[in-house]
Parts: sequence; C-alpha cells; structure tokens
Amino acid sequence: MAKKMKVRRIIQIVFFTVAALIAINHGLAEAGKPIPFIAEASLHAVCPFGGVVSIYNLIATGTFVKKIHESSVVLMLIVFVSALLLGPIFCGWICPFGTFQEWISKLGRKIFKKKYNTFIPYRFDKYLRFLRYGVLVWVLIMTAWSGKIIFADYDPYYALFQFWTGEVAITAFVALFAVVLLSLFVERPFCKYACPYGAVLGLFNFIRIIPLRRNVSTCISCSKCDKACSMNIPVSTSGKVMNHQCISCYECTSEDGACPVPDTLTFTTKPYEGAQK
Amino acid sequence: MRIQAKTAGISFIVLMILGLVLSMITGYWLTESSKEPAKYTDGEYAGASNPADIRGSYSLDDIHTAFDIPVESMAAAFGLREEDNPGSIQVKIFEEVFGIIDGMEIGTDSMRYFVALYKGLPFVVEEGTALPGPAISILRKEGAMTEEELSIASENSVSLESTHVIETASEVEHDDTVLMEIKGKTMFSELYDWGITLEELESILGMAAGARSMSVRDFCMDNGIEFSTVKEPVQVLLDNM
Repeated sequence: MAKKMKVRRIIQIVFFTVAALIAINHGLAEAGKPIPFIAEASLHAVCPFGGVVSIYNLIATGTFVKKIHESSVVLMLIVFVSALLLGPIFCGWICPFGTFQEWISKLGRKIFKKKYNTFIPYRFDKYLRFLRYGVLVWVLIMTAWSGKIIFADYDPYYALFQFWTGEVAITAFVALFAVVLLSLFVERPFCKYACPYGAVLGLFNFIRIIPLRRNVSTCISCSKCDKACSMNIPVSTSGKVMNHQCISCYECTSEDGACPVPDTLTFTTKPYEGAQK
Repeated sequence: MRIQAKTAGISFIVLMILGLVLSMITGYWLTESSKEPAKYTDGEYAGASNPADIRGSYSLDDIHTAFDIPVESMAAAFGLREEDNPGSIQVKIFEEVFGIIDGMEIGTDSMRYFVALYKGLPFVVEEGTALPGPAISILRKEGAMTEEELSIASENSVSLESTHVIETASEVEHDDTVLMEIKGKTMFSELYDWGITLEELESILGMAAGARSMSVRDFCMDNGIEFSTVKEPVQVLLDNM
C-alpha cells in the first residue's frame, strides 16, 4: 500500500517544503536577502482560506481583509474547482499542516499500535466533528466584523511556519502544542475538530462530481477500509460515501489503498449496479 | 469516469498550474498590497483615499504618495530620525519599536489615526490606540482636524521618551527640521535655545527659573510643582515659535 501511495507522499513533502521555504523567504526578503527563485509572498498571501474569509469584505466594501491579497482568492477558486471535481483533495494531499499531523501520527501509531486513532467512540466522535463548523462561523463573523485575520492568533499552522518571527500569538502556540499532543492519540485532530477551511471543503463531499463508491456485491466486509481511514469514516457500511470528513486521500481504495478486492472501492462517477446513485 | 490516486494528484497539480498561469497572465496574481488604499465610497469624502485601509506594509513614501503628507512630517510625528531613511520605513515596525506605552499602543492604527487627523478625514480609531506626543505638535501646526478632535487626540497621546528611536534632548539643535518638544529630560538651557525667554518661563513657573543645566522636571519636583502643569503651556509656546 505504501508503495502504491508514494505519489501522495511525494506531493505532500513537496508542498510542505514549498510552504516552509515561502515562510522563511518572506522574512529574508524583508531583510533584503531573499533566496533566489523562491516566492517572497507572505504565508497569508498564499493561503486559500484567506480568500474565504475575505468574501464578505470583498462584497461589502470591495477590499480585502488586512494581509490578504488577490492571490488568496485565486488559490481559493482553484481549490474550490478541484474540490467540486475530486472532493477535498487539498486536505489530503496538499495542506502542509495535514501533512505535519500525519507525520506526528506515525509516532502515535508506534506508541499505541492498533489502539491508535480509536480512543473516542464514533457515536460520540461523529458529533464532535461538527465543532469545526462552529469554528468556521466564528472565524467568518469575527473576520467580517474586524476586517482582520482573527484566526491567525489561534492558528496552529501559522504558529508552525512562523514560530521564529515573533509575530505569533501565544494562543496560536498553545493551539499548536495541543494539536501535536492530540496527534499522538488521534489522527489529524485539527482537521477533524477545528479546521475552518476543512469545514468548507468538507461540504464539497456532498456535491463532488467524482465520489467514492463501494461495490456492495463484491465487498467482503473486511473493514480494512475503515481502519485505513485517517478520518474514521465507516466506509464499509456506505454505498456512496458522502461524509463531510472525507479528505480524498485514497488510502482506502481498491486501486491505491487498503481494499483487497479489485474494483470494489473506487472514486468513480458511475454507480455500481444495484447501488444508490 | 474512474480516477486513481496518481491521476487525482496530477490533475490537482495541473489545475493549480493552469490557474496560476491564467491569473498571472490576467494580472490578478498579486501577493502584496498595491499600496493604493481603498476610497470612501459615499458621503462628503467619496473618492478620497481612506486612511482606514493603510496597511502595515505601507512605507512612509507610500503614504506620502496616497495622502500627500510630507514624509518629514510623518517622521517627526513618530520620532524617526533622518538617518533612519524614514521614507522606506514600513508602518508595521511601529508595533515592534514602540508597542505598548502607558497602556496604550502605537502601531499601524496610530498612523491611520494620524493621517485621518492630518487630512481631516473621518476615521474610527481603535480602542487603545495612541499617538506619539510629537504627532500632536505636528498636527497642531499642519493638521486639518477640528480643535475638538485634536483635544481628544492629545488625551490619547503618549511620550516617546522611553523609546530608542527618538533623539535625546541634548542632541537636538534648533532649526526648522527639529521637533521642539518639552520632555522630562529637557533642560532650561534648551528652552532658552529654542527661543523661550526667561520672563515667559518664570511667568509659567510662578517663581524664579532653575539653573540652565537643570531639567525642568527635576526643578518642578524640587519645588512641588506638577510637571504637567508646566509642560503644557511651555509646549504651546514652543508650538507657536
């Protein structure tokens, strides 16, 4: 499986490195010593969520939220188009903070082995997953009200990539520490419970053109897909997987992931015979 | 249509590259502010640049371009020295250099406030925002605000004595480019050098003035006089020089 999913790992490493280089180079550029051929933009300028939080300001006043620029809107639109086609592939493949959490999770798996990522019973957990929508609403309202990127003060991603700058609020460091700690027990805790951008992209799972489908007639109910899912989605009991937490990581699929039966769990536009459409 | 992982990943990359190239070709790929603040959209000032949209990334040169305020005036207002090349200084450094003084903050919003008062433009200042003491003197001389607005601004001003960017009193010479501001360390000799007469000083003090080398604040403390009651009228005299 690991060999099959090599392409996702490579893309994750590339985007994590790019984000880190941009973050470092922005500071160097301000000091007049930029690294050649690396973007000098701020981290805010290349964050697609900046486009989301700017929507209200753009409509109401025609201006961007402070520190956000046109580039964020461009990236937001690119990610939205990709999500409409492929679901939240940005979360599963691109987001550097999701990658960071996955790396921490490797340590958690070594410590807790099979128990890892199963500490919270799903019957409770599935409701906790809606917390991120509360975060999203709060961020949108506060940003619209203040005209500032309020979330930066609580954003563990910002803390991770700017910790050396002196611009990070203590609350963001606390959030980063909490995410690192929780990642030892739960896979992608920030994505599951708190990421406002993940909340937005998660909604695309209900309208995506190419959804994840399970072939009920060939499925052997081995539950390997459930175990492979970092977001704890009960894939093995679904026909068409329409869960707002799916991050399109492909770790569960027949061709590229955990499913041992060919042509049983795939991202496809065509429903399997006898399955829900 | 069926999509495998490799295809999905490559599709995203292709989509991203196409989107970026398209936005670059159309000129929409901007990762920093255009340095052109938004305009007021309605009311008396419709079409004028709105100081509320000044960003931390703006330099004093950018603000000069947008609002036609001399860089020298802004530099003096915020205690910046000529050798600091104030035109290139970005407003966001104020938070770092000044930060919180006496419970009030000097930062980007202070510059917005200063510009608004200087140009007489409407602006809602954030709670806790302060103006540096020298800014009040500049506004008194050059600003387009009302007396009431200046009075409110004075109440929200703080001294820059404790910061390192401002010149010490002993370094100040009396010429048109130097800001004359009475501070705790200001000596009687400096006041005389700036043009205040002994009679004017003694009239304010209500007694004989101290030695030339003595600071005004030390003199006030020794004689049981509240320094602020002397500072204000002396500053008015200096502003009218």
